[in-house]
Amino acid sequence: MGDVTYDLIIIGGGPAGLAAAIYGGRAKLRTLVINKGTVGGLVNTTREIVNYPGYGQISGPDLMKDFKKHADIFGVEFSRDEVVSVNFYQDDKIICTKKKKKYLAKAVIIACGSEPRLLNIPGEKRLQGSGVAYCATCDAEFFEGEDVVVIGSGDQAIEEGMYITKFARQVTVIVLHDEGVLDCNKVSAERAFQNEKMEFVWNSTIEEVLGEANVVGVKIKNLKTGRSSELACQGVFFFVGMIPSTHFLKESGIGMDKSGYIPVNDLMETDLEGVYAVGDNRVKYLRQVVSAAGDGATAAVAAERYIEELNAFSTSVLKSDKKVLLLFFNALNNESLEFSTLIEEANQELAELYKVVKIDTATKKNLAQKYDVKIVPSVVVLDRGQEIKRLDNSMDKEKLKAQLR
Amino acid sequence: MSLEQLNANKFEEIIYDNLEACLVIFSRKACHVCKDVVPVLEELQPQYRDRFGFYYVDVEEDKNLFQRFSLKGVPQILFFKEGEYQAKLAGAVDEDQVIDKIEEVLES
Repeated sequence: MGDVTYDLIIIGGGPAGLAAAIYGGRAKLRTLVINKGTVGGLVNTTREIVNYPGYGQISGPDLMKDFKKHADIFGVEFSRDEVVSVNFYQDDKIICTKKKKKYLAKAVIIACGSEPRLLNIPGEKRLQGSGVAYCATCDAEFFEGEDVVVIGSGDQAIEEGMYITKFARQVTVIVLHDEGVLDCNKVSAERAFQNEKMEFVWNSTIEEVLGEANVVGVKIKNLKTGRSSELACQGVFFFVGMIPSTHFLKESGIGMDKSGYIPVNDLMETDLEGVYAVGDNRVKYLRQVVSAAGDGATAAVAAERYIEELNAFSTSVLKSDKKVLLLFFNALNNESLEFSTLIEEANQELAELYKVVKIDTATKKNLAQKYDVKIVPSVVVLDRGQEIKRLDNSMDKEKLKAQLR
Repeated sequence: MSLEQLNANKFEEIIYDNLEACLVIFSRKACHVCKDVVPVLEELQPQYRDRFGFYYVDVEEDKNLFQRFSLKGVPQILFFKEGEYQAKLAGAVDEDQVIDKIEEVLES
């Protein structure tokens, strides 16, 4: 199958990816979103969102439909596929998918989000769908009048746990912390403590899910006493946190922390040129829809400028008929400004033998890096894209001219 | 192509009267994992035309069907052949897992 080339490819269609897509599409970049499942990502699992500005109350799937519609208006393309491998080490980045497609892109935004962490305890995997569950909206109803155990005490665990009490006879929450301490927000904690169907087991975790064909109980370990006990139940819901879905990038050479989150700077730039990371899969303080959308906007604008730089450079420098003087300067550095004037004069006196291209190292870090320029002013002489020499930065015009002849 | 939805009667007919080799996904509208798995089946379906059936049961509309198989969650894909239940897959399964299971059922 032939390669397909885009300006911008966004991996992941949650709020971060879709916001980036909206900005990319509006900037007239040929933009593709590659998304594994339903567009919307993890937000689709949220029944109610009450803190996205402009929406007093909306369901996760409905909000994401609005995001998607908005991206459609700006001509963004979508592909339901999964990225299996990438090569980010060149100007045209390569992305290969499970459906055996190969895409090329000038810039890539990684917005693949995160996924529920598994505890990997005996019985967890085997009994999935037979009592072990991860989604209350999907499965709570199957436990009408039964006993359910919830593991975890974050927002999701407590809020989903309360939802399950609408159906189950009793919900027992297994909490790692000391009595009274939950990781969730205060409003939810208060509500949970008042809920008559909610029980709490403190300082504990789960060692095993018990049952042959269906869940019949769990083995609870008290972390303080080290003692194990069994609790009969028909359902177990796991809400033990998230892990970034960045495993497909392991071989890519992109920098990640030990948990798999990608560190970025203010522009959402990763340590690889033209590659950005946004939303839940990056190292960050707050993982919400609104902050994900902000990330997406930032990355798309940064990517747009990067692509513009790339294109401009290609036409004005690499394909130039004249030899090019690449002058690296910094507007805050007086010497480099004076030197810039001197170079222009010298070139004029040489009947414009060269084309002078000025590069501000404050905004065009990529180019400075590419030509290994560490001090300003610096001049790299190019002939049809190839470096032929570097100038000695003399403030003496005649010495300069001598180097240019 | 979307999957053919079965109610209790149609389920009886296809599985137990026609003895069709097929899979049935038990799903519900509000389940986001189901929304990811159903399209996988829809895409696979044409490859197995005339060899293996692909069907859909909405657990909200046909409660008795999931109770009968004592299912405790969606999505679950149940596999049948010659009127007998063969195997199931639960949760967020991918294309390869479904293909493997179909081949396994067809060969058995």
